[in-house]
Parts: sequence; structure tokens; C-alpha cells
Amino acid sequence: MATAVSQSVPWYSPPKIARVVFQAKRYPVLPVAILVFFLVIPAVFAPLVAPHDPLKGSLSKRLKPPVWAEGGSIEYPLGTDKMGRDLLSRMIYGARISLLVSFMAIFVGGSIGTTLGVISGYFGGKLDALIMRLVDIALSIPAIFLALVLVSAIGPSFGTVITVIALIQWARYARQARAETLTVREQDFIARARVAGASHVRIMVRYIFPNLVNTLVVLATLQVGSIILLESTLSFLGVGIPRPTPAWGVMVADGRELIVTAWWVSMLPGVGIMLTVLSLNLFGDWLRDHLDPKLKHV
Amino acid sequence: MQRYILRRFLHSLLAIWVLSMIVFSLARVTGNPLDVLLPLEAGPEEYERVAKHWGLDKPLYTQYLIFMGKALRGDFGTSWKWQGHTAMSLVVDRLPATLQLAGLALLISIVISVPIGVMAAVMKDTPLDSLSKLIALLGQSLPSFWLGIVLMWVFAVQLGWFPTSGRGGLSYMVLPGIALGWFQVAALMRLTRSSMLEVLDSEFVKLTRIKGLPEWKVIWKHCLRNAAIVPLTYFGVTASALLTGSVAIESVFAWPGTGLLAVDAVRARDFQVVQAVIIVFAGVFIFTNLVVDVLYAYLDPRIRYQ
Amino acid sequence: MLHSVLSTLLLGGCAMQRDMMTMPRLIPLWLGLVVAMGFLLSATPTPALAGEAKVQRLIFGSAGFTEGNRFWTIVRPEHLQFDPFLETLLDIDPKTGEFIPRLAEKWQASPDLKEWTFWLRKGVQFHNGWGEFTAKDVVHSHSFMLRQDATATFVGIWRLVEEIKVIDDYQVVFRLKRPVSMMPYLVSRCCDLRIVSKAQWDKEGLEGFDKQPAGTGSYRYIDRKLGYSISYERVDKHWAGEKPDFKELEIRLAPEATTRLAMLLGGEAHVVDLPRELQQEAIGRGMKLVSSAQPVDWISIYFGGMYFLPGDPKFDPKVPWTNKKVRQAMNMAVNRRELVETVFAGKATPVYVSAWLPISEGWNQEWVTQFDQLYGYNPAKARDLLKEAGYTPGTVKVKIVAFTDPGESEGPVVAEALGVYFQEVGIDATIETLDTVKIRDMGRSKSMHCCIVPNIVTWRPSEEWIRNTHSGYANGHAFEDEFIQKNYDALTQSVDPGERQRLARAIGDHLYEEFATIPLFWLYNEVAVNPKVVAEWTYPGLGGGRSTHYHLLKATK
Repeated sequence: MATAVSQSVPWYSPPKIARVVFQAKRYPVLPVAILVFFLVIPAVFAPLVAPHDPLKGSLSKRLKPPVWAEGGSIEYPLGTDKMGRDLLSRMIYGARISLLVSFMAIFVGGSIGTTLGVISGYFGGKLDALIMRLVDIALSIPAIFLALVLVSAIGPSFGTVITVIALIQWARYARQARAETLTVREQDFIARARVAGASHVRIMVRYIFPNLVNTLVVLATLQVGSIILLESTLSFLGVGIPRPTPAWGVMVADGRELIVTAWWVSMLPGVGIMLTVLSLNLFGDWLRDHLDPKLKHV
Repeated sequence: MQRYILRRFLHSLLAIWVLSMIVFSLARVTGNPLDVLLPLEAGPEEYERVAKHWGLDKPLYTQYLIFMGKALRGDFGTSWKWQGHTAMSLVVDRLPATLQLAGLALLISIVISVPIGVMAAVMKDTPLDSLSKLIALLGQSLPSFWLGIVLMWVFAVQLGWFPTSGRGGLSYMVLPGIALGWFQVAALMRLTRSSMLEVLDSEFVKLTRIKGLPEWKVIWKHCLRNAAIVPLTYFGVTASALLTGSVAIESVFAWPGTGLLAVDAVRARDFQVVQAVIIVFAGVFIFTNLVVDVLYAYLDPRIRYQ
Repeated sequence: MLHSVLSTLLLGGCAMQRDMMTMPRLIPLWLGLVVAMGFLLSATPTPALAGEAKVQRLIFGSAGFTEGNRFWTIVRPEHLQFDPFLETLLDIDPKTGEFIPRLAEKWQASPDLKEWTFWLRKGVQFHNGWGEFTAKDVVHSHSFMLRQDATATFVGIWRLVEEIKVIDDYQVVFRLKRPVSMMPYLVSRCCDLRIVSKAQWDKEGLEGFDKQPAGTGSYRYIDRKLGYSISYERVDKHWAGEKPDFKELEIRLAPEATTRLAMLLGGEAHVVDLPRELQQEAIGRGMKLVSSAQPVDWISIYFGGMYFLPGDPKFDPKVPWTNKKVRQAMNMAVNRRELVETVFAGKATPVYVSAWLPISEGWNQEWVTQFDQLYGYNPAKARDLLKEAGYTPGTVKVKIVAFTDPGESEGPVVAEALGVYFQEVGIDATIETLDTVKIRDMGRSKSMHCCIVPNIVTWRPSEEWIRNTHSGYANGHAFEDEFIQKNYDALTQSVDPGERQRLARAIGDHLYEEFATIPLFWLYNEVAVNPKVVAEWTYPGLGGGRSTHYHLLKATK
């Protein structure tokens, strides 16, 4: 499945992604703009961008509407929640949390999954069968239930949520990595490296892995959105990021009782999730198309 | 063919068994159910007495052996929270409700996504195509419980078109069905569209056009039939997505299915019921995957001979 | 699942490049959808009320409870499911909360409070033709509390009953292992001794009981749909002549508050439990709030680590609030007035010592007069106290535990408010969301050193509360020391009312002076009703399950 380009290029090539991102035409301007605006800037520059402290609120200012509704003021542009905390600030910090959770979960899950997948595809045989059975089992566990049991067992915390999501994610990466490894494994340059005396580890790390990066990145980008959604569902069920940390999912879940009276508390973070996930999906699509347009099936 | 089925079936059983072990140990190693069974007012003697009654004072492996022994005979233990009911009977009682809802959700999503997917493929790059993509993308991006609440508020309370919650006839199932199925609309729509695009380009379609068949027949009769195979493969994934999605939706709409049962059971540390639910759900998922794989192998001979 | 669908699907290729160019066309669509949704949600159209003049079946929307007919395994707050059809020996007056006769006409205690005699009412018939209520049914009903699987709230005390002597068909004597002054409370509608038929049990056993338990109430149990509802039907000839206005009653379970509100507004339910946030909305749409006649629950904050019994290995002097000054500071940091206005809509009365109402044994009116001075909102004084205790700002670290039980949603909001108040006086407070199981476990094993816990508890007699939380005999362990233990031991043996008051008051005073808790508010139970269906409902709130006396639901004519 590797393209002709990666075949003729030596084992180390500058990340194709970077090249693609900076040089390609037909840049998906709008999704990237939204992403940057909604996710990257808030996440990175949160303390500078947020007008108020996301954790401090004043009970006398609770449930104020956004600036465009009656009763709203520019002091709290998106209104306040039931503890009197500024919603805009919470959403900005929430972007940071959401990204952090996603990245860490993807990193942990992806690392484990990719490693196992590459090992599985490279060595084949019984090891392959064993790992693939594990993958099957992991994929057959309903995500929400695993999350519920784990989190109620260990107790809700930042680390627990990441662990849970990583445990749900790793199998996908494993499967993908294995499939890619199987094709790359047959290439000539791998055989040449073996003949030259390279160890298995060296081959896997320096030859096979770089070829996986493309698809893994695409997979990861597409996952961020669904992880944010999963985290919000876990928060809804009460086993997500613990309060008062302003994660978007927690905000939507917390505001659900108020959807009638103070719709902005739940609705606006929901819109934030929606636009972010949307943009991530579009960006991921575009990335996939440019990194590997011939990609059809896993 | 038969060996293929047998192999897959055995793998499925293995998966379920491993799952049960994981759940069993997780559930017991953490969190003492006695703290849920007994009230705040109970004293130490009460804890001892009730622990003995439920066999919780025995070591972990003994408990597991007892559990396995009973499970092989089909007895998954009695529920602690819903006294007087066996764990499996609770799940089995509530399963039809969830399956009903999931079934309707699937139907709704198919009914919406297939026609739109087909039209989007046929009228590629027109506003309709873009609209369909927007709907699809929106579907993927909304948290389903939030959508459920919004739907309930708009259509059941403001407009009064549907009842707000509970179990009943078709009118009770529409809103939760839409909230649950909405996610799948996105996936199925794009899948239908892409496989239709492939088929539309193929040789035999050109042939049917040359033959002079009316366009609608070309699209709906010939293309769709061939394009339908690919969505089929995702039925297994969809089924499991629906089952897990039902957890949140059942909570919002007070729909008494297994999803809600699972959440209540986990909160109450009712391990017996948690085990039973997970095993049943995993079983359903694995079974549907199995059926889909077999069906796919049957329809596409190339797979069989791998 | 979903994620793999997405990824494989999208990797499965639709060419999206051309979509990028149509993006500009999609922006107005997106924005339009978002704005439209916003307007739909914030608009206030005419509510679709079910304007029914005559409702046969009254539907009560509840936040949920453990379902089952085995009342000896169900905790008291969940006994609302039994109230319509299972009765108790004594009732409580719907307005005043006083004990009045019910299945027992008269009662009397021996001087040593160890023997309680009850004279039973004659001519009470069980449902479904199971015969007349007599003494043997009392013995039988109590016997459930002695079973291996009994986990009801007051099982501990029920097991203090040595025997129930049957004098004749209409007279029983409870003989107890130690003096129990709160016997009337225990056998009343507040608690969990539900009278059921021995004849039914003898004939049908547990199975028959599970299926259709016979009681003596003005409603009769029909059936249950697990996870969904319980149905009851009015009885034709009730022994007290009670005739509820509504022929059928159904308690519907709906865990989501928004759902319950929607049910009420849409006419699918006529009475619902609603959290405070949604009450204003309900009123705005024409619904009415019905409050319990009496305050029912109180919310207070309990300190962890207060294990002051001599020689207690779990005691850790490094915990900041083992110092009385710190506890007082934390009390003075809380702006109770603001809390009441914002979280409880002004509808709560202050708690002076946790668990004590003026009707409680050992009440001291001076607690009221001195409260502002000792506990009142004074952040400056709070900071001073902390300094005096040797804690500079930021050195006191506390975790405030947040959890919710169905129907009690204020805990987390109060926890977060406290966090803010504490930060203002230099206490480093963080919120810890734990579930009830974890909290119980920590409480039981005396490992709460890190935390303070807001908790909402239903009223009970002082002696029982002290046993639960301030003695070493139960699992509360919220504040224990030698003084309380000694006085409590004496209290359990005391039979003279004057002495009892003195001992209880001594303990109360001690808790007050030691700032043993952060007392907050007494809360009334409130439900929202549809005024087109329900005209009024008088219920005390102190009954088991809070919502009781369903026969007093008056239909709107």
C-alpha cells in the first residue's frame, strides 16, 4: 500500500506530512481556520485569551445569558453557568482539556497499538494470531461499558479517563499498523536490510514505522473528534472528567438540566464540540487524500 | 465454508470468556458492593452478616470458581440491587426494549441515508451533495444525548408532536430512535455514496444504459443492489454502536432497556448484573459480526477462499 | 465501534477535495442551523398542557429508587414505593408530623423503656382477601428484619427486639434488649416496619409476595414494570374509610430531570420531583409547587478525620481541621445567606447543630441566638483564626467531595460554592467527585483525612443520629470523642425524660461548641404539580420516602 514515492526515497525522509501541509494547493482553508480558532489558539494561549478565571465564579452572577440575549452583558460574552463562572473562559480552557485528553489518549493508545501491530505483522505466526485475538476481544468490548466499569472501579480522574480511552483505542491502531506492516514487510529494501545484518528492532523502527506514519496520523486526526465525543458521553453518565475542570463534555452534561432555562450552558459547549469535531473530520479527510489518495480499505 | 464459520464461532466464544474474566476481576477488586447494599446507618455487624449472605467474604478465586460453575449451567447469579431477580432474567427482560429501539434507529438511519447517499452519488457535486455531506458531518459531530434532549424539548414539549418519554407504541420510539440512529446516518450515507460512485462508473452500468433502460431503473435496481454489499459489512459495527449509544439515549428518554440497566447496575456495584449485561452485549455484537462475516463471505466468493 | 466506522469509512474514499470549494456555501447553512436551534430553545411558546378535567390515573414522576417488594432490603428514602399500599402501626399527622394511631390504636411504654405495648385495631382487612390483620401479622412483619438479607435502614435497631409477645389477637408487646425511647418513631410511617400478611406468606411464600404483596392501605398493589413504573389501584372499602380522589396511581421512573419536566408539561405526568433549577421553569409554564408541611432533610458539611476517641490509631493530628480554630474558620468562611438565595431559591431554614430541630431531644434555643457570633459569615475573622492556628494562606489543603443521589442534586453545587468561599480565605480547596460507594468505604474505614463531605440526610431522633455519626457503633465516624461516647452510652440506658433531655443537650452543646460540622440548611421536599389535575396535596415530608399520604392528593374539580 505504500506509494511509489516512499519506495524510492531512503529510509529517512522528512515527514511527508510537513511537506504536504506547507506546500499543497487546495488547502482546506475553512476547516483549518475553525480548528485554529476554536481549538489551537484557545488551547495554547488559554491564560492570555480567556477573560475570566474558569474556576472562580460568583454565585450572585449565576446563569446570566449570553451578550446577544436580553439580560446579557459584554462582561460575560457567552453567559455564565450555574456556579457563576464565565462560559467563554471555561470553553477556552475546555479546549485545552479536550485536546490534552485526546492527544494523550491517542499517544498512549496509539503507541501501544502501533507497537503491537507492527510486531504482530512483522513476526507473524503464533504471535500474530495471539495479538490479533487480543485485538478482536478488545474491539468486541462495548466501549461505554468498559469505561463505566473501569472508571467506577478506579474512580473518575484525568488519568483514568485517558486510560479508559486509550484502552478502547489501541486495537484500531494495532489493526491498521499490522495491515500496513504486512505490505511493507514484503518490500525489497526490507530484505536488503536483513541481508545487511540489521536487527529486527532496527528494521521495525527505521524502515517499517516511517511508512506507517501517514495513515496513523490520519487515523489519529479522525479519532480526536470521536474521543471528544466519547469523553462527553462519559461525562454525561457521570464517569468522565471530574468537576470543576472545564472539559466540554462535562459542561454539556452538567448543563443538561438547564437546557430549558439556561440553554446556553449546555448548548454552546455542544456547538463547540460540533464545530471542532466537524473541522477535524474534514481536515482528516483532506490529509488522507493528500497523503495517500489510493487508500481505500483498511 | 463450514470450517470458516466454526473457527469464527470458537473465537467468539473465547472472546466472551476472556471478557467475563476481565469484568469479574475488575468488578470485585474495586469497590465493595456492601457499601451500596447497606444503608449509612448499618453497623459493622451488619456488614459481616450481609457479606456472608452473599458469599463476598470468600477469597477472589473461590468466588470466581463458584461463578464459573454456575455460569456454565446458565445461572449468572442473582441481582443484589433488584432482589428476587436473577441477573440474566433482568437482562433478558429488558433486551427486547433495547433491540426494538436499536432496530428502529437502524431502520430510520437506513431510510434516511440510503436514498440520500444514492442521490448524492448520482448528483455529485451539486448542492444536494454538499447538503448531504453537511447532514452527515453534523451527525458525526453531535453528542447523541444532547441531540436527544434537544429533540425531546423541541418536538415533544414545544410542538407536542410526540410523547416525551417512556415505553409505548411507535410514537414513543420515534424521538429516541432518531437520536440514536443519527450517528449512523452519517456513516451509512457516505458509505452508500462511495460505493454507488464506484458502481456507477463500472462497465455493466454503461451496458444497462446502452440497453436503454430508464435511468431510475439503472440507479435503483441495478446499481444499488451491487452497492449494498459494502454497507452490509458495517452492519456489525453499526449494531454495536447502536447498543452502546442506547445507554445514554435510554437515560434521557427513560426507555427501560438494557443500557439503562447497565448504568444503574454499575452505579450500584451490582456485579452480577454488570457481568450479565456485558456478556450479553458482547455476545450480540460478536454474533452480529459473525453473521455479517459469513454473509459477506457468502456474497463475495473471493473472501471465502482466503 | 463508531470510530472505526468513521475511519475505515472515510479512508474508504470519497474524494473530498471538491468539497473544500463548496465550503463557503456551507457556512450560512451551519450558522443558520445553530441560530435556529438557539431560537427554538429560548423561545417561549404556549405550553401544550393536557387540559383534562377528570384524570383517572395519577402519574407521579420520580427520579428513581431501588425497585423491589422486599421492603426489608430497601432503605427508608426509597419507601415511597410502599407508602400507598403498605401501612405501619402508627401514622404521622400530614400537617404537624406528630404520631397518630394507625394500625395500632394505643401504645404504652414500660418505665424502663424496654417493653412497648401496642393495642391493635380491629376489623382491618388485608388486600386480595388475605384475611384480618392481627397480632401474628406484626410478629411476621418484624421477622423480616431478622433475615440474613435484611438491609433496611433501621435493621440495627430492629435486631434489638428480643421477642414480640402476643398477648392476644389485638395486643402485642415488643421486648427490647435495651431501652429504646424512639419506638413510636420506629413503628410509624417515618420508618420501615411495613405490615404484611402472614396468611399470604404461609400460603404463597416469597414468590407470591414478590408478585403481589398484600397490604392494608387505601391503594392496592397491582404490578411493576421494572425500570419503568409501579401501578396501584384504589381499594373499595378501606378500614379507615379513606377514599383517594384518583382511582389509579402510578409511580413512573425517569432518571433525567429534564425528562420529568417534559413529562409534566406534556401532560404525561401530573406530579413530579424536580430539582430546584427547573422549578422556576415549571412555575413559569403554569405549574405549581407543593411543599412538604415539615422540613425533611438537612444539608451539612462533615469533616473527615475527626477521630478523637482516645487511642484511636486512625487519628492524624496533621489534619488541619483537627484544630477547632480551623473548623470555626471554615464555618465563618461560608456565606450562608448567599448560598440560600442562589442555590435554594431562598427556601431553606438554617441548621444550628446538624440533625437538631426544635422537636429533637436536647434542643437548645441558645444555639440560635449565638449562631451569628460563632458561625456567621466573616471572612476577615476566618483568616485571623487560621493565622492563629498557625496556618498561612495556602497551607490548608482540603478536598470537598461531590456526589449525587437521585433526587438530591444540590451536593455538587454546594461543594463548588464552598470551594470558592474557602479560596477566598486562603484555604486551598479542590473538588473531588467520588461515587457514594467510595465515600461510604472511606467513611467506614476511617480514612477520610483528606476531605470534607456535604451530605443531605433525612431527619431522625437525636439518639439515632448520634449513634450513626458521632459514636463508634455505626459507620458514620463524622466526629467522635470520649465526651460524646460517654454521654451517648448513658443516653441509651436512660429512661427518665428529664435526664434524657439533659444528656442529649450536653452532646448537642458539645457539637455546637466544637464546630463539629459546618451546618447549613433544612430543606423542605418540593414537588411540582399540574394545577389542572391536582388541587392540593398535604404531606408531612417526614414519612419514609418523603412523598407520602397519596390518598390526600386532591383532584381539581
